[in-house]
Amino acid sequence: MLKSEKETLAAQLRPGGGLERWAERHLRFLMLAPTVLILLGLTIFPSLYMFYAAVHKISPNPDLPWEFVGADNFARLLSDAQFHVALWNTTVFTVVAVTTEFLLGLGLALLLDKFIRRLTFLKTVLMVPMMLPPVAVAITWKLIYEPQFGVLNEIMYRLGLPLQAWAGDVNLAMFSIIVADVWQWTPFIFLLMLAGLASLPVEPYEAAALDGASSWRQFWDLTLPFLKPVIAIALLLRVMDALRLFDLVFILTGGGPADRTKVLSLYIYQVAYRFADPGYAAAISLFVLFVTIVLSTWFMKRMRLAE
Amino acid sequence: MTIATTIQAHSRAREVFIRLAAYLTILAALVITLFPVYWIAANSFKFDIDIFAVPPEWLPRNPTLKHYDEAFIQRPFLRYALNSFLVAVGTTIVSVVFGTMAGYALARFSYPWQWRKQISFWILSTRMMPPIVSIIPLYLFFNYFDMLNTKSALIVAYTAFNLPFATWMMKSYFQDLPVELEEAAIVDGDTRWGAFLHVALPLARPGLAATAIFCLIISWNEFLLSLIITLTEQSQTLPIGIAGRVTQYSTYWGEISAAGFMACVPIVIFAFIVQKHLVRGLSLGAVKG
Repeated sequence: MLKSEKETLAAQLRPGGGLERWAERHLRFLMLAPTVLILLGLTIFPSLYMFYAAVHKISPNPDLPWEFVGADNFARLLSDAQFHVALWNTTVFTVVAVTTEFLLGLGLALLLDKFIRRLTFLKTVLMVPMMLPPVAVAITWKLIYEPQFGVLNEIMYRLGLPLQAWAGDVNLAMFSIIVADVWQWTPFIFLLMLAGLASLPVEPYEAAALDGASSWRQFWDLTLPFLKPVIAIALLLRVMDALRLFDLVFILTGGGPADRTKVLSLYIYQVAYRFADPGYAAAISLFVLFVTIVLSTWFMKRMRLAE
Repeated sequence: MTIATTIQAHSRAREVFIRLAAYLTILAALVITLFPVYWIAANSFKFDIDIFAVPPEWLPRNPTLKHYDEAFIQRPFLRYALNSFLVAVGTTIVSVVFGTMAGYALARFSYPWQWRKQISFWILSTRMMPPIVSIIPLYLFFNYFDMLNTKSALIVAYTAFNLPFATWMMKSYFQDLPVELEEAAIVDGDTRWGAFLHVALPLARPGLAATAIFCLIISWNEFLLSLIITLTEQSQTLPIGIAGRVTQYSTYWGEISAAGFMACVPIVIFAFIVQKHLVRGLSLGAVKG
């Protein structure tokens, strides 16, 4: 932090009008203000508005007034079977996809730590999937999963395994979505872990080696604790992304078959636009927002990320 | 042979094994990573009949630009791409200008009542907000101001998650700069604002460029908000155009492969430009890779 005496001294020495001096004195607020105001407008306002929408029945006809229904929309959350399906699907997707990505990414990073550290080019190539537009990723996997002429069924055929409908199959649809997501996001965990491993201190390992600690012990007692902050960041960002999954499902399955891949984002979209019930959609949105805030706050507080 | 040399031979064998496993893993990872990207590119250059070939045609035997002509000349994909580009640039300018100032303020200044920590935390949490959550108010808001189906509406909506990103990125870059240079400038008679503008900002230029490119990528890739806010090709973005050709009845494989591949090309180029900043960018400035 700058010494405030220096600041005031410099400000007094400067020539200039009163406004300039005033701006200089309040610079710390003025520089922050636009961002805070914009974000207030774009997040707090919509959230408050959503509370207002959620206690109304909103007709698709814009000329009709909103009908106040109190907590009805929230009560519906308890009895709406489709909502429960969507909640379950989102949970399964988040847990399975993020766990797989984490284990694969960490395993790969541990294996390749010594070999890949300096190969920036190779790292960038491995990073390509997660930068790509999710829509492009979705159509790419749609092409691979295509039951008639897709690559995956060709591989199954060569291996003598039964052909599958993949994204179109009731039992494999969620699996197919997860595979595509794992393809896109494992590199993210991998590269973050690699960055974490590259910054580990050397001395504790030398000491542990002198004590004759096995590499397994070293991993549990040294590597994992040191990596904890990076792991926290990686998991937080992945979980938040997984909870908002939309694009892949929208293109690959449209939520089907038999609602097996209907996730919360997609359900909100359907309620708001296909079923034309924005009031109820707002209630579901508030639920999702609540879960997101609780989860991310818990994570960030625990890991002291805001420091 | 002594015991010592046996142990040595053992550990050498183990090292060779690990090395081999590592190289094979890298190779497998590269193949798995690159094949889908290759596949969409390969299919974009095939005639329809070759796309449907069983077994698949691994290399396009009769390469054609037919689907590029269909998508970009006959259908409005060039228009979609232009919309995507304009929206991405608009969002990036707004986010980087305000995000840089806010990031600097949060990196350098002190505030009463722990505001610095609280505001940083709050800005980060707005980044965590799922976009689906704000679509209903945004839709009604844009509807009210007659802004539905405009590129400005997209810029406003995208700023909601690009601005927190830019703020955190720039905060992390400014925190890495030594404060002494700015102090020296102030002692030499520069104002506080001048120290930011003439000293800190030029030093943060690489970070600024990386942040801008990330904002471009995030906006270019966005799908959900555009799906809701835009209705016609006047303002629809590339991902929406692509999704529009995946219908319930038929999928225009050649066309979407061509458009999808073209949507990926600038992203790959950008990824290589910012490769040194990728880890930091993807972790919102938290991990300095």
